Amino acid sequence: MKLAGTVTLPAPPSEVWSLLTDAPRLSRLLPGCEQLEPDGPDRYKAAVKFGIAAISGKYAGTLEFAEKKPPHSLILKLDGKGLPGFVKGEGRIELTPKGDTTEIAYTGEAHVGGLIASVGQRMLDAAARKIVQQFFDSAKAELESTKGAAAEPNSPVKAHRKGN
Amino acid sequence: MTTRYIGKPLKRKEDPRLIQGISHYVDDLNLAGMHYAAFLRSPHAHANIRSVDLSKARHASGVVLALSGADIDGAIQPVPCAAQIPDMKSAARPVLARDRVRFVGEAVAVVVASDRYAARDALDLIEVDYEPLTPIVNPEKAIAKGATPLHAGHKDNVAFKWELEGGDLKAAFKSADKVIRQRLVNQRLIPVPIETRGVIADYQPGEGQLTVWSATQIPHLLRTQIASMLNFPETLVRVVAPEVGGGFGSKLNVYPEEALVAYLAIQLGKPVKWSESRRENFQATIHGRDQIDDVEVAVKRDGSILGLRCHVIADLGAYYQLLTPLIPTLTGLMMTGCYKIPAARMEITGVFTNKMATDAYRGAGRPEATYLIERVMDLVAAELKKDPVEVRRKNFPQPNDFPYATPTGLIYDSGDYEKALDMALKVADYKKLRQEQAKLRKEGRYMGIGVSTYVEICGMGPSSAMPAGGWESATVRVEPTGRVSVMTGSSPHGQGQETTFAQMGADVLGIDPSQFQVVHGDTSIVPYGIGTFGSRATAVGGTAVYKSLLKVKEKLAHIAAHLVGSDPERMVFADGKISAKESPKKSVAFGQAVSAAYVAKTLPADMEPGLEATTFFEPSNFTYPFGTHICVVEIDREIGDVKLVRYVAVDDCGNVLNPLLVEGQVQGGIVQSVGQALFEEAVYDEQGQLITGELMDYALPHASDLCWIETARTVTPTPVNPLGVKGVGEAGTIGATPALAGAVADALAPFGVHHVDMPFKREKIWQLMRKSSGRVQ
Repeated sequence: MKLAGTVTLPAPPSEVWSLLTDAPRLSRLLPGCEQLEPDGPDRYKAAVKFGIAAISGKYAGTLEFAEKKPPHSLILKLDGKGLPGFVKGEGRIELTPKGDTTEIAYTGEAHVGGLIASVGQRMLDAAARKIVQQFFDSAKAELESTKGAAAEPNSPVKAHRKGN
Repeated sequence: MTTRYIGKPLKRKEDPRLIQGISHYVDDLNLAGMHYAAFLRSPHAHANIRSVDLSKARHASGVVLALSGADIDGAIQPVPCAAQIPDMKSAARPVLARDRVRFVGEAVAVVVASDRYAARDALDLIEVDYEPLTPIVNPEKAIAKGATPLHAGHKDNVAFKWELEGGDLKAAFKSADKVIRQRLVNQRLIPVPIETRGVIADYQPGEGQLTVWSATQIPHLLRTQIASMLNFPETLVRVVAPEVGGGFGSKLNVYPEEALVAYLAIQLGKPVKWSESRRENFQATIHGRDQIDDVEVAVKRDGSILGLRCHVIADLGAYYQLLTPLIPTLTGLMMTGCYKIPAARMEITGVFTNKMATDAYRGAGRPEATYLIERVMDLVAAELKKDPVEVRRKNFPQPNDFPYATPTGLIYDSGDYEKALDMALKVADYKKLRQEQAKLRKEGRYMGIGVSTYVEICGMGPSSAMPAGGWESATVRVEPTGRVSVMTGSSPHGQGQETTFAQMGADVLGIDPSQFQVVHGDTSIVPYGIGTFGSRATAVGGTAVYKSLLKVKEKLAHIAAHLVGSDPERMVFADGKISAKESPKKSVAFGQAVSAAYVAKTLPADMEPGLEATTFFEPSNFTYPFGTHICVVEIDREIGDVKLVRYVAVDDCGNVLNPLLVEGQVQGGIVQSVGQALFEEAVYDEQGQLITGELMDYALPHASDLCWIETARTVTPTPVNPLGVKGVGEAGTIGATPALAGAVADALAPFGVHHVDMPFKREKIWQLMRKSSGRVQ
């Protein structure tokens, strides 16, 4: 399964960067994410609930950031398994300033196995696109609300950053 | 023998119980104290197993046993393969994977619980640590240089190479006016019987008796194999194939679950049942076809075929099942079809990939052969701008050429190919069809006509050409009340022999078919037999029944003659009586003669009491049914839909015991071919995931996809058996795909298309028309 696209977020790259690489904030944006805890440098333990067609379930795994070039690009690695099957994927995200906003170009590929592959294959692409869209919609909303709050540093986020 | 019943369209004796849903399949059987097995299967196409942790599953409520491959190490032998090809590499499938999994769906662990839901739920508690490896999915990449071998100790993924050559091929290609080349792909299919597999095993420790009920086509072979796999005395194993809901070859096999469920019942001392789910059936029951054929044909300008050369890549999957390596060799044997082609050569490369094994699926190697040769005939016709019918007719052997020896080493028993062709042309009104096609093309409508003249090899025997016995058994026992039990070694599962064998018995013994009970599928009742596959149950199994009937008849003739004071040679069996030809007064009721055999007071001197005869019949040759199928399609220019407009099938399966059943077999076979031609395809993605893993994604033909199938027959009896019957179980699937493919290619000819690989999905056809719409002729 391959995904690619572009999206514009209403904040400069530095702000988008800090949103995307901050685990607690990120966990709120990821649809179905129930847990995202540090597990080493740039590595998180993740628990995600995800359903496709009649097959829903929890997936446990890791989320990793690699080749971080703030605030320009990074690689996201996902590896998870659950009762409905397994997912292993890698995506590249590039941030380009466009005035006050940031254009994000993403490309990614995921391998899916087990029940979700044999039963949900037809719906997978659409479901993945929907998740990506939900994610960026939430990111937009998050950035807009931070803007509304006069771009003040968010204290709990800061506290967590220390932990990283 | 007067034929009052043979050849008549009697309705099937089997149908009332099947239609009412009151017969018993494996899953309908319930034993006291039944336990249930569930299998954990690999989600990976290729991975090392680092560890299997069963501790949580073992403690789950209701669970009595949980085992991984390591737990049964050495206790159960791997899945047997009966096919032998010189220098073939070993690829035995362990009943549970041990260190590595090689296809999605391979069993890794088994759980037994007191109910099937507890067993299923416990699977979720098993933790398997897999180390994923790169899957090898594409067979051509699998044998490319540098590909990692799937099996330890192999240097590559070539399972075997098989060659067959006859005639002077060099001369053929040298003297050819034209050489035509084409690559043909015969896609992988899933057999999809309505009843999935199922096994029940019961072990009685006191008697040491193991009973296994299985949805199988081969109860006796399964019994032998279970005994061998478990090192258990065969004499104490009873296998029963109860009602079996379709097999199409997929139950002509020995599966890990059959041996494992038996093993579990022995371990637990409790009956254990396993019922396969549809998803398991898709992933872990054999698949069919899956060949890439590169073919070259040498032709003369007048359309005569001089030579045929083909290289086949056969995708075998990860392991061998019972006949896996043998199936593509049948394609080789039948590659010249029903034509006099003086020289032919086939090379087959069998290849291991990370997929389920391929094996016998209705037609088993022969649909691939007819597809190959019939596509070649169409390509020759297109190249030489001749009518496909004329190219075929030009190359037929004539009736006086039979028995006809092919360059591939076979002897075709009998045939009159032109007769079947002419009848099909007449029924279809071929000339008119061509006129209609020309007219429609002018209107921008794309009608196509496909013709397939096929011959197939069936009536599987003799033993010299079979991996495990080419004979069949039958016992006929007239019971003291005059009713007749017919025990056949064949194992019908939809073919209707409970009806046809009774028809035969009725004519031989002069009594009503209702007096017969055909018993099959129980190794404790039926003499050792081979089973139902390869369109052999009537030609081989039926002949064994016929010979046993004649033996019983002869004994009855002696008894009756003795009772009425006449000559056994002069006794006539009719209307429930055995009478002397010379005088109607010299007559006894059938039952009276039978009674004499059991009461044994009035028997001729030196005659043994009882009335039972057993025959083990082995034919001297295969049989070669043939026919012509004509298919008419219309392709929708806008959406690429292929609509079946007409289908005419003229089949010659020799003598016919029951035309209704022959009709059913032909229609069903053709519909299965429509499935392959238009819809069906088992698709593994590049990671080896079976993405057509259920009926939502694997399209089977519906009634609405079909047109009425017009059938007719010619009758050319075989000299191979005394009944003159050839077999018809696979004819439909063997004859039909080339007719469908020919029709589609013919419809697309205005777009410059001469060949399209199956399945003819709308998007594929639409793309082809779109790509070449600029050059519509």
